[in-house]
Amino acid sequence: MSKVRWHIPITIVLLCLGIMLSLQFQAQTRIASGLTLQRTETLIAMVRGLSDKRQKLALEIIDLGAQLKSQVESNRDEKTLLDSIDLEMKKLLIVNGNAPVNGPGLTITIEEHMPIIYTDLLNITNELWNAGAEAIAINGHRITGHSTISVAEDVFSEANFNIFMTVNHEKLEYPIVINALGNANNLEKGLTLPGGIMDNLALFNAYPEIVQVEELEIPAIQKPVTYYFMNEYKPVEGNIAEEKKEEAANLLKSILP
Amino acid sequence: MWFILPIIGLILGVYLGSNITFQLPAIYIKYMSIAVLASLDSVFGGIKSILKNNFDGTILLSGFFTNALLAALLAYLGDRLGVDLYYAAIFAFGVRIFQNLATIRHHVITNIRQKNALARGEKNE
Repeated sequence: MSKVRWHIPITIVLLCLGIMLSLQFQAQTRIASGLTLQRTETLIAMVRGLSDKRQKLALEIIDLGAQLKSQVESNRDEKTLLDSIDLEMKKLLIVNGNAPVNGPGLTITIEEHMPIIYTDLLNITNELWNAGAEAIAINGHRITGHSTISVAEDVFSEANFNIFMTVNHEKLEYPIVINALGNANNLEKGLTLPGGIMDNLALFNAYPEIVQVEELEIPAIQKPVTYYFMNEYKPVEGNIAEEKKEEAANLLKSILP
Repeated sequence: MWFILPIIGLILGVYLGSNITFQLPAIYIKYMSIAVLASLDSVFGGIKSILKNNFDGTILLSGFFTNALLAALLAYLGDRLGVDLYYAAIFAFGVRIFQNLATIRHHVITNIRQKNALARGEKNE
Protein backbone atom coordinates (compact mmCIF):
# COMPACT_ATOMS: atom_id res chain seq x y z
CA MET A 1 0.00 0.00 0.00
CA SER A 2 2.90 2.32 0.66
CA LYS A 3 3.71 2.18 -3.03
CA VAL A 4 0.52 4.03 -3.98
CA ARG A 5 1.55 6.98 -1.85
CA TRP A 6 4.69 7.75 -3.78
CA HIS A 7 3.41 6.78 -7.24
CA ILE A 8 1.14 9.75 -7.73
CA PRO A 9 3.48 12.59 -6.67
CA ILE A 10 6.42 11.25 -8.61
CA THR A 11 4.25 10.84 -11.71
CA ILE A 12 3.06 14.43 -11.44
CA VAL A 13 6.62 15.62 -10.93
CA LEU A 14 7.87 13.65 -13.91
CA LEU A 15 5.02 14.91 -16.06
CA CYS A 16 5.99 18.48 -15.28
CA LEU A 17 9.65 17.65 -15.81
CA GLY A 18 8.82 16.17 -19.21
CA ILE A 19 6.98 19.31 -20.26
CA MET A 20 9.80 21.53 -19.08
CA LEU A 21 12.44 19.37 -20.71
CA SER A 22 10.78 19.34 -24.10
CA LEU A 23 10.10 23.09 -23.96
CA GLN A 24 13.69 23.76 -23.06
CA PHE A 25 14.87 21.36 -25.74
CA GLN A 26 12.82 23.12 -28.38
CA ALA A 27 14.00 26.56 -27.30
CA GLN A 28 17.61 25.43 -27.29
CA THR A 29 17.28 23.93 -30.77
CA ARG A 30 15.79 27.17 -31.99
CA ILE A 31 18.72 29.16 -30.59
CA ALA A 32 21.25 26.72 -32.01
CA SER A 33 19.76 27.18 -35.48
CA GLY A 34 20.21 30.96 -35.21
CA LEU A 35 22.73 32.66 -37.48
CA THR A 36 25.08 33.77 -34.69
CA LEU A 37 25.70 30.19 -33.62
CA GLN A 38 26.44 28.80 -37.11
CA ARG A 39 29.90 27.71 -38.17
CA THR A 40 31.86 30.19 -40.23
CA GLU A 41 32.07 27.81 -43.21
CA THR A 42 28.32 27.37 -43.25
CA LEU A 43 27.84 31.12 -43.04
CA ILE A 44 30.25 31.70 -45.92
CA ALA A 45 28.42 29.11 -48.02
CA MET A 46 25.11 30.73 -47.15
CA VAL A 47 26.38 34.18 -48.08
CA ARG A 48 27.74 32.87 -51.37
CA GLY A 49 24.49 31.12 -52.21
CA LEU A 50 22.46 34.18 -51.34
CA SER A 51 24.63 36.59 -53.33
CA ASP A 52 24.45 34.22 -56.33
CA LYS A 53 20.70 34.17 -55.98
CA ARG A 54 20.65 37.94 -55.69
CA GLN A 55 22.66 38.35 -58.88
CA LYS A 56 20.32 36.02 -60.71
CA LEU A 57 17.33 37.93 -59.43
CA ALA A 58 18.88 41.25 -60.46
CA LEU A 59 19.40 39.88 -63.96
CA GLU A 60 15.81 38.72 -63.96
CA ILE A 61 14.69 42.20 -62.93
CA ILE A 62 16.58 43.72 -65.88
CA ASP A 63 15.12 41.11 -68.21
CA LEU A 64 11.60 41.67 -66.97
CA GLY A 65 12.07 45.44 -67.16
CA ALA A 66 13.02 45.15 -70.84
CA GLN A 67 10.00 42.93 -71.41
CA LEU A 68 7.76 45.41 -69.67
CA LYS A 69 9.18 48.23 -71.79
CA SER A 70 8.57 46.39 -75.05
CA GLN A 71 5.09 45.41 -73.90
CA VAL A 72 4.29 49.01 -73.02
CA GLU A 73 5.61 50.16 -76.39
CA SER A 74 3.60 47.62 -78.34
CA ASN A 75 0.60 48.49 -76.23
CA ARG A 76 1.09 52.16 -77.08
CA ASP A 77 1.42 51.33 -80.79
CA GLU A 78 -1.72 49.25 -80.60
CA LYS A 79 -3.48 52.05 -78.82
CA THR A 80 -2.56 54.63 -81.44
CA LEU A 81 -3.65 52.20 -84.14
CA LEU A 82 -6.93 51.60 -82.37
CA ASP A 83 -7.39 55.31 -81.85
CA SER A 84 -6.85 56.06 -85.53
CA ILE A 85 -9.20 53.23 -86.51
CA ASP A 86 -11.76 54.55 -84.06
CA LEU A 87 -11.40 58.04 -85.51
CA GLU A 88 -11.72 56.69 -89.03
CA MET A 89 -14.82 54.76 -88.04
CA LYS A 90 -16.39 57.82 -86.49
CA LYS A 91 -15.70 59.80 -89.65
CA LEU A 92 -17.21 57.07 -91.78
CA LEU A 93 -20.24 56.89 -89.53
CA ILE A 94 -20.75 60.63 -89.93
CA VAL A 95 -20.15 60.63 -93.67
CA ASN A 96 -22.37 57.64 -94.30
CA GLY A 97 -25.09 59.13 -92.19
CA ASN A 98 -24.94 56.44 -89.54
CA ALA A 99 -24.40 58.98 -86.79
CA PRO A 100 -26.37 62.11 -85.97
CA VAL A 101 -24.47 65.36 -86.59
CA ASN A 102 -24.94 68.96 -85.62
CA GLY A 103 -23.54 72.34 -86.60
CA PRO A 104 -24.46 75.61 -88.32
CA GLY A 105 -26.53 75.53 -91.48
CA LEU A 106 -29.66 76.41 -93.34
CA THR A 107 -33.32 75.60 -92.94
CA ILE A 108 -35.61 75.70 -96.00
CA THR A 109 -39.31 75.47 -95.24
CA ILE A 110 -41.84 74.63 -97.97
CA GLU A 111 -45.51 75.18 -97.18
CA GLU A 112 -48.34 73.13 -98.61
CA HIS A 113 -49.66 75.90 -100.90
CA MET A 114 -46.43 76.11 -102.84
CA PRO A 115 -46.59 74.26 -106.16
CA ILE A 116 -43.54 72.12 -105.73
CA ILE A 117 -42.90 68.67 -107.16
CA TYR A 118 -40.28 66.09 -106.25
CA THR A 119 -37.83 67.23 -108.95
CA ASP A 120 -37.71 70.63 -107.24
CA LEU A 121 -36.71 68.85 -104.03
CA LEU A 122 -34.04 66.99 -106.01
CA ASN A 123 -32.81 70.27 -107.49
CA ILE A 124 -32.69 71.94 -104.11
CA THR A 125 -30.77 69.01 -102.67
CA ASN A 126 -28.34 68.96 -105.56
CA GLU A 127 -27.82 72.70 -105.25
CA LEU A 128 -27.15 72.32 -101.54
CA TRP A 129 -24.58 69.57 -102.20
CA ASN A 130 -23.00 71.82 -104.83
CA ALA A 131 -22.84 74.72 -102.41
CA GLY A 132 -20.89 72.59 -99.97
CA ALA A 133 -23.51 71.11 -97.67
CA GLU A 134 -22.04 68.45 -95.45
CA ALA A 135 -25.24 66.76 -94.40
CA ILE A 136 -28.84 67.14 -95.51
CA ALA A 137 -32.09 65.90 -94.03
CA ILE A 138 -35.62 66.35 -95.40
CA ASN A 139 -38.25 66.19 -92.66
CA GLY A 140 -35.75 64.28 -90.55
CA HIS A 141 -34.88 61.79 -93.29
CA ARG A 142 -31.14 61.83 -93.75
CA ILE A 143 -30.07 62.18 -97.39
CA THR A 144 -27.20 59.84 -98.28
CA GLY A 145 -25.90 58.07 -101.33
CA HIS A 146 -28.71 55.55 -100.97
CA SER A 147 -31.50 58.06 -100.51
CA THR A 148 -34.39 58.32 -102.93
CA ILE A 149 -36.56 61.34 -103.59
CA SER A 150 -39.59 60.32 -105.54
CA VAL A 151 -43.31 60.57 -105.98
CA ALA A 152 -45.99 58.06 -105.12
CA GLU A 153 -49.72 57.67 -105.46
CA ASP A 154 -51.95 56.38 -102.72
CA VAL A 155 -54.37 54.22 -104.72
CA PHE A 156 -56.41 53.26 -101.66
CA SER A 157 -57.08 56.84 -100.66
CA GLU A 158 -60.55 58.28 -101.27
CA ALA A 159 -59.22 61.83 -101.65
CA ASN A 160 -59.01 63.47 -105.04
CA PHE A 161 -55.43 64.57 -104.73
CA ASN A 162 -53.58 61.54 -103.53
CA ILE A 163 -50.18 61.99 -105.08
CA PHE A 164 -47.43 62.73 -102.59
CA MET A 165 -43.67 63.02 -102.47
CA THR A 166 -41.48 60.48 -100.73
CA VAL A 167 -37.99 60.59 -99.29
CA ASN A 168 -36.38 57.25 -98.54
CA HIS A 169 -39.75 55.68 -99.36
CA GLU A 170 -41.44 57.63 -96.59
CA LYS A 171 -44.34 59.97 -97.27
CA LEU A 172 -43.48 63.67 -96.86
CA GLU A 173 -45.89 65.70 -94.74
CA TYR A 174 -46.20 69.47 -95.05
CA PRO A 175 -44.52 71.69 -94.14
CA ILE A 176 -41.44 70.18 -95.72
CA VAL A 177 -38.34 71.26 -93.82
CA ILE A 178 -34.96 70.79 -95.43
CA ASN A 179 -32.03 71.01 -93.03
CA ALA A 180 -28.62 71.48 -94.58
CA LEU A 181 -25.47 71.52 -92.54
CA GLY A 182 -22.60 73.64 -93.82
CA ASN A 183 -21.48 77.22 -94.35
CA ALA A 184 -24.88 78.95 -94.15
CA ASN A 185 -23.87 81.93 -96.31
CA ASN A 186 -22.49 79.76 -99.10
CA LEU A 187 -25.55 77.54 -98.98
CA GLU A 188 -27.94 80.46 -99.19
CA LYS A 189 -25.98 82.05 -102.04
CA GLY A 190 -25.99 78.76 -103.89
CA LEU A 191 -29.76 78.65 -103.70
CA THR A 192 -30.50 82.29 -104.39
CA LEU A 193 -27.99 83.12 -107.10
CA PRO A 194 -29.61 84.80 -110.11
CA GLY A 195 -31.09 82.23 -112.46
CA GLY A 196 -30.75 79.65 -109.73
CA ILE A 197 -33.26 77.30 -108.23
CA MET A 198 -35.04 79.99 -106.19
CA ASP A 199 -35.53 82.16 -109.24
CA ASN A 200 -36.83 79.13 -111.04
CA LEU A 201 -39.34 78.41 -108.28
CA ALA A 202 -40.38 82.04 -108.18
CA LEU A 203 -41.66 81.60 -111.73
CA PHE A 204 -44.18 79.15 -110.29
CA ASN A 205 -44.99 81.50 -107.43
CA ALA A 206 -43.23 79.35 -104.91
CA TYR A 207 -41.12 81.13 -102.34
CA PRO A 208 -39.62 78.69 -99.88
CA GLU A 209 -38.50 80.31 -96.65
CA ILE A 210 -34.73 80.20 -96.13
CA VAL A 211 -33.41 80.73 -92.62
CA GLN A 212 -29.79 80.61 -91.50
CA VAL A 213 -29.42 78.68 -88.25
CA GLU A 214 -26.53 78.76 -85.78
CA GLU A 215 -27.05 75.24 -84.60
CA LEU A 216 -29.13 72.52 -86.18
CA GLU A 217 -29.22 68.81 -85.70
CA ILE A 218 -29.40 66.22 -88.43
CA PRO A 219 -30.41 62.70 -87.40
CA ALA A 220 -28.83 59.45 -88.51
CA ILE A 221 -30.37 57.29 -91.21
CA GLN A 222 -33.18 55.11 -89.92
CA LYS A 223 -32.37 51.98 -91.91
CA PRO A 224 -28.68 51.22 -92.25
CA VAL A 225 -27.72 49.80 -95.62
CA THR A 226 -26.64 46.18 -95.68
CA TYR A 227 -24.28 45.04 -98.40
CA TYR A 228 -24.71 41.47 -99.60
CA PHE A 229 -23.04 41.36 -102.99
CA MET A 230 -20.41 44.03 -102.78
CA ASN A 231 -16.79 42.89 -102.56
CA GLU A 232 -13.69 44.98 -102.48
CA TYR A 233 -12.03 44.97 -105.87
CA LYS A 234 -8.45 43.76 -105.64
CA PRO A 235 -6.53 43.80 -108.91
CA VAL A 236 -4.03 40.97 -109.34
CA GLU A 237 -0.61 42.58 -109.22
CA GLY A 238 1.69 42.30 -112.23
CA ASN A 239 -0.83 40.70 -114.54
CA ILE A 240 -2.85 43.82 -115.28
CA ALA A 241 -0.78 44.90 -118.27
CA GLU A 242 -0.82 41.42 -119.81
CA GLU A 243 -4.55 41.07 -119.29
CA LYS A 244 -5.12 44.37 -121.01
CA LYS A 245 -2.91 43.28 -123.91
CA GLU A 246 -4.91 40.07 -124.22
CA GLU A 247 -8.15 41.99 -124.12
CA ALA A 248 -6.94 44.29 -126.87
CA ALA A 249 -5.80 41.32 -128.96
CA ASN A 250 -9.19 39.63 -128.54
CA LEU A 251 -10.92 42.84 -129.50
CA LEU A 252 -8.80 43.14 -132.63
CA LYS A 253 -9.51 39.51 -133.52
CA SER A 254 -13.26 40.00 -133.17
CA ILE A 255 -13.21 43.17 -135.30
CA LEU A 256 -10.88 41.90 -137.97
CA PRO A 257 -12.22 39.17 -140.18
CA MET B 1 6.84 -2.94 -12.38
CA TRP B 2 6.61 -0.04 -9.90
CA PHE B 3 8.32 2.40 -12.30
CA ILE B 4 5.78 2.03 -15.15
CA LEU B 5 3.44 4.82 -14.06
CA PRO B 6 6.15 7.50 -13.56
CA ILE B 7 7.73 6.62 -16.91
CA ILE B 8 4.36 6.93 -18.61
CA GLY B 9 4.03 10.32 -16.89
CA LEU B 10 7.44 11.41 -18.22
CA ILE B 11 6.62 10.30 -21.77
CA LEU B 12 3.24 12.00 -21.63
CA GLY B 13 4.90 15.19 -20.38
CA VAL B 14 7.44 15.18 -23.21
CA TYR B 15 4.61 14.55 -25.69
CA LEU B 16 2.53 17.39 -24.28
CA GLY B 17 5.51 19.74 -24.19
CA SER B 18 6.40 19.06 -27.81
CA ASN B 19 2.79 19.56 -28.89
CA ILE B 20 1.97 22.85 -27.19
CA THR B 21 2.21 25.80 -29.52
CA PHE B 22 3.69 27.96 -26.75
CA GLN B 23 7.23 29.03 -27.56
CA LEU B 24 9.57 29.99 -24.80
CA PRO B 25 10.89 33.55 -25.36
CA ALA B 26 14.63 33.60 -25.94
CA ILE B 27 15.38 35.74 -22.84
CA TYR B 28 13.84 33.20 -20.47
CA ILE B 29 15.71 30.19 -21.79
CA LYS B 30 18.51 30.72 -19.28
CA TYR B 31 16.11 30.73 -16.31
CA MET B 32 14.20 27.81 -17.71
CA SER B 33 17.40 25.77 -17.87
CA ILE B 34 18.06 26.48 -14.19
CA ALA B 35 14.48 25.51 -13.36
CA VAL B 36 14.90 22.26 -15.30
CA LEU B 37 18.09 21.55 -13.36
CA ALA B 38 16.32 22.13 -10.03
CA SER B 39 13.47 19.87 -11.14
CA LEU B 40 15.90 17.12 -12.08
CA ASP B 41 17.48 17.45 -8.66
CA SER B 42 14.06 17.14 -7.00
CA VAL B 43 13.20 14.08 -9.07
CA PHE B 44 16.43 12.32 -8.22
CA GLY B 45 15.97 13.30 -4.57
CA GLY B 46 12.50 11.77 -4.71
CA ILE B 47 13.82 8.53 -6.19
CA LYS B 48 16.50 8.42 -3.53
CA SER B 49 13.94 8.85 -0.77
CA ILE B 50 11.81 6.07 -2.25
CA LEU B 51 14.80 3.76 -2.11
CA LYS B 52 15.57 4.92 1.43
CA ASN B 53 11.94 4.33 2.41
CA ASN B 54 11.50 7.86 3.80
CA PHE B 55 9.44 9.23 0.87
CA ASP B 56 7.08 12.14 1.49
CA GLY B 57 4.87 13.27 -1.38
CA THR B 58 4.26 16.77 0.02
CA ILE B 59 7.94 17.47 0.45
CA LEU B 60 8.69 16.21 -3.05
CA LEU B 61 5.97 18.29 -4.75
CA SER B 62 6.69 21.45 -2.76
CA GLY B 63 10.42 20.99 -3.26
CA PHE B 64 9.96 20.43 -6.96
CA PHE B 65 8.01 23.61 -7.61
CA THR B 66 9.67 25.92 -5.08
CA ASN B 67 13.15 24.81 -6.05
CA ALA B 68 12.49 25.37 -9.72
CA LEU B 69 10.86 28.75 -9.17
CA LEU B 70 13.45 29.94 -6.66
CA ALA B 71 16.32 28.85 -8.83
CA ALA B 72 14.88 30.74 -11.80
CA LEU B 73 14.13 33.78 -9.65
CA LEU B 74 17.61 33.77 -8.11
CA ALA B 75 19.20 33.55 -11.53
CA TYR B 76 17.00 36.43 -12.69
CA LEU B 77 17.88 38.47 -9.59
CA GLY B 78 21.54 37.72 -10.17
CA ASP B 79 21.24 39.02 -13.69
CA ARG B 80 19.60 42.17 -12.42
CA LEU B 81 22.24 42.70 -9.71
CA GLY B 82 25.19 41.85 -11.89
CA VAL B 83 26.09 38.79 -9.81
CA ASP B 84 26.21 35.50 -11.66
CA LEU B 85 24.01 33.55 -9.26
CA TYR B 86 23.26 31.40 -12.30
CA TYR B 87 26.58 29.60 -11.89
CA ALA B 88 26.03 29.21 -8.16
CA ALA B 89 22.70 27.51 -8.84
CA ILE B 90 24.25 25.29 -11.50
CA PHE B 91 26.99 24.33 -9.10
CA ALA B 92 24.68 23.65 -6.18
CA PHE B 93 22.13 21.63 -8.14
CA GLY B 94 24.83 19.84 -10.10
CA VAL B 95 26.56 18.68 -6.92
CA ARG B 96 23.24 17.61 -5.42
CA ILE B 97 22.22 15.74 -8.53
CA PHE B 98 25.48 13.80 -8.56
CA GLN B 99 25.17 13.07 -4.83
CA ASN B 100 21.64 11.84 -5.30
CA LEU B 101 22.67 9.72 -8.26
CA ALA B 102 25.53 8.23 -6.25
CA THR B 103 23.19 7.41 -3.40
CA ILE B 104 20.70 5.85 -5.80
CA ARG B 105 23.50 3.79 -7.33
CA HIS B 106 24.65 2.64 -3.92
CA HIS B 107 21.20 1.62 -2.94
CA VAL B 108 20.53 -0.22 -6.16
CA ILE B 109 23.81 -2.11 -5.96
CA THR B 110 23.32 -3.05 -2.30
CA ASN B 111 19.78 -4.14 -3.06
CA ILE B 112 20.97 -6.36 -5.90
CA ARG B 113 23.73 -7.82 -3.74
CA GLN B 114 21.33 -8.52 -0.91
CA LYS B 115 18.94 -10.23 -3.32
CA ASN B 116 21.76 -12.29 -4.78
CA ALA B 117 22.99 -13.21 -1.28
CA LEU B 118 19.47 -14.20 -0.31
CA ALA B 119 19.11 -16.29 -3.43
CA ARG B 120 22.42 -17.99 -2.76
CA GLY B 121 21.46 -18.59 0.86
CA GLU B 122 18.21 -20.20 -0.27
CA LYS B 123 20.13 -22.37 -2.69
CA ASN B 124 22.61 -23.38 0.00
CA GLU B 125 19.84 -24.31 2.29
